[in-house]
Amino acid sequence: MLPGGWLWGKWVLLLLPGAVSLAPWSRTCLKLSGSDSPCAKPMLAKGVKRPRGEMEGGDPEPRDPGAAPASSLFNISMVKLHQSLRHVEPNLRHLVLVANTLRRMQDQMQREARGPDSPEAPSVVDSPAPVSDSRDSGLEPCRQPPSDSQGDDLLLSTMDTSISTILEDLGQVEVLSPARPEEEQPLAGASGARQEPARTSAPCLGPLELLSSASYLLEDGLEDIFEDIDTSMYDCDLWSPTSLSGFKAFSGAEDSDSKALAGAEDRLDMSDLDYLMDVLVGGHAL
Amino acid sequence: MAGVAGGGGGGGGNDFQWCFSQVKGAIDEDVAEADIISTVEFNYSGDLLATGDKGGRVVIFQREQENKSRPHSRGEYNVYSTFQSHEPEFDYLKSLEIEEKINKIRWLPQQNAAHFLLSTNDKTIKLWKISERDKRAEGYNLKDEDGRLRDPFRITSLRVPILKPMDLMVEASPRRIFANAHTYHINSISVNSDHETYLSADDLRINLWHLEITDRSFNIVDIKPANMEELTEVITAAEFHPHHCNVFVYSSSKGTIRLCDMRSSALCDRHSKFFEEPEDPSSRSFFSEIISSISDVKFSHSGRYMMTRDYLSVKVWDLNMENRPVETYQVHEYLRSKLCSLYENDCIFDKFECCWNGSDR
Repeated sequence: MLPGGWLWGKWVLLLLPGAVSLAPWSRTCLKLSGSDSPCAKPMLAKGVKRPRGEMEGGDPEPRDPGAAPASSLFNISMVKLHQSLRHVEPNLRHLVLVANTLRRMQDQMQREARGPDSPEAPSVVDSPAPVSDSRDSGLEPCRQPPSDSQGDDLLLSTMDTSISTILEDLGQVEVLSPARPEEEQPLAGASGARQEPARTSAPCLGPLELLSSASYLLEDGLEDIFEDIDTSMYDCDLWSPTSLSGFKAFSGAEDSDSKALAGAEDRLDMSDLDYLMDVLVGGHAL
Repeated sequence: MAGVAGGGGGGGGNDFQWCFSQVKGAIDEDVAEADIISTVEFNYSGDLLATGDKGGRVVIFQREQENKSRPHSRGEYNVYSTFQSHEPEFDYLKSLEIEEKINKIRWLPQQNAAHFLLSTNDKTIKLWKISERDKRAEGYNLKDEDGRLRDPFRITSLRVPILKPMDLMVEASPRRIFANAHTYHINSISVNSDHETYLSADDLRINLWHLEITDRSFNIVDIKPANMEELTEVITAAEFHPHHCNVFVYSSSKGTIRLCDMRSSALCDRHSKFFEEPEDPSSRSFFSEIISSISDVKFSHSGRYMMTRDYLSVKVWDLNMENRPVETYQVHEYLRSKLCSLYENDCIFDKFECCWNGSDR
């Protein structure tokens, strides 16, 4: 799995009380639990069984009381995604399913925003006629009525703000892990093209980039993470290359001065070392 | 008891009447979190039933011998053994507590008087030996009856210890610990028909283990993309074929099942068979993928069929036909109109298991 001991220093820092405020993804001792939903409506709290009488009462509900227009469903999904990502080890299945659902919603919204005259793909988008019947036939009532252009604009701007939030989080993560230049360009492009409704779904994949650099990380660029650590307590005379010639510095953060010094005084120290060795060996022989 | 959905309930639903034969546990409304049962598994003969809970404990029930005078009444199950299988662990690297909740239990086929089972939490699999002791030795030479050591110089005669019966004691001891092989959360384990190996599956990888070897495992499936942002699918369950020790299947969150043959390559990233039912365009919605996510897959005892459980239905597949299942059973179709609310309160992500009865009916 992951290399062990020498990463201790970093994590001790994070466990100290003050360090909890570092970044959204900083490690707090989260007990893993199933996904929590802040928007659990009292009517169907998780795990609570509805008494059987209620189930059978009357006709099958023609209108799902929990039905929400697509925009609020989108928001709910975004909230779920963020919540999932906030865990140190997110429930991958939950994350992937929510992200894919979000993509579907986004695709549909973009298709609708493009207008009804654009070549239509599969039947996710209803034509106006069946919408009124959808409730009776028990179809998914959560679809957005197609003829709502004002709603569309609102929707897209909501989408924009949500995605920019994700980009923000991504930015914070990049502070702690080395930014990969090839990823930054598409992101910059996306934020520039915010006004265009027809956009690739690449920005929405942003949250999953958090996965690659956040939780299951520590695979590359490890040295940069440690730059902020103060190693002055280790800069002891005993251990500096000046006194132990030929000893390789164990941290890349060593300043170059001491290394230059080490080279120059190499020959002098060699004799000191030899003398020490002789004393030790001589003592033993006695 | 645990929420196991009885699967494959015969052609005519009216022919079977299902009822509880026995209920174990507190009927109290207040159930401690740690007591919530997270997995259930019968052994091969059905005489033993193992349950795992969120507190990391395993409780095994044993069926009483059937009374000869009442041949039609099934034997009652009583507690046989209880032990703490997993403890909560703290992963210091990630500042994260690893839950002790038992995700899966699988029995090994019985080979001698002792019983063996594998139990797993999110990260570690353990092999437990459950053995009975109903005799004890008496008359040791070097020890007193109360266990005090005797002075060897004072012993003047030797005797042979004799075995005396005692109250039955059932002991569980961990024989192997298979750890540090999974980055993601283990969701399945499956014992192979060779009785020597088993697989363990997490969200993105499947590893093959030998029961005798704990310090390494062999990775046979890896669906982790090069960039995590391309992740669109995870592994949800995996099982070995009951007769062919080189064949196994794994299901995904997209509702597909892949059958792999370990003889074809070391890393079984390319499947031999791919099972997927095409989406019904009339019932497509935002939640289509979530409800198609398969939560459990089980081979029939014959090995000819497999059963899968998704959110609303149970499907039976013929291994020779990849394009659609041969049978589909809607388990709770009335939920289909409520998918929106179920999504909001996360109930749509609940997982269910399924299993065949002994005669694959």
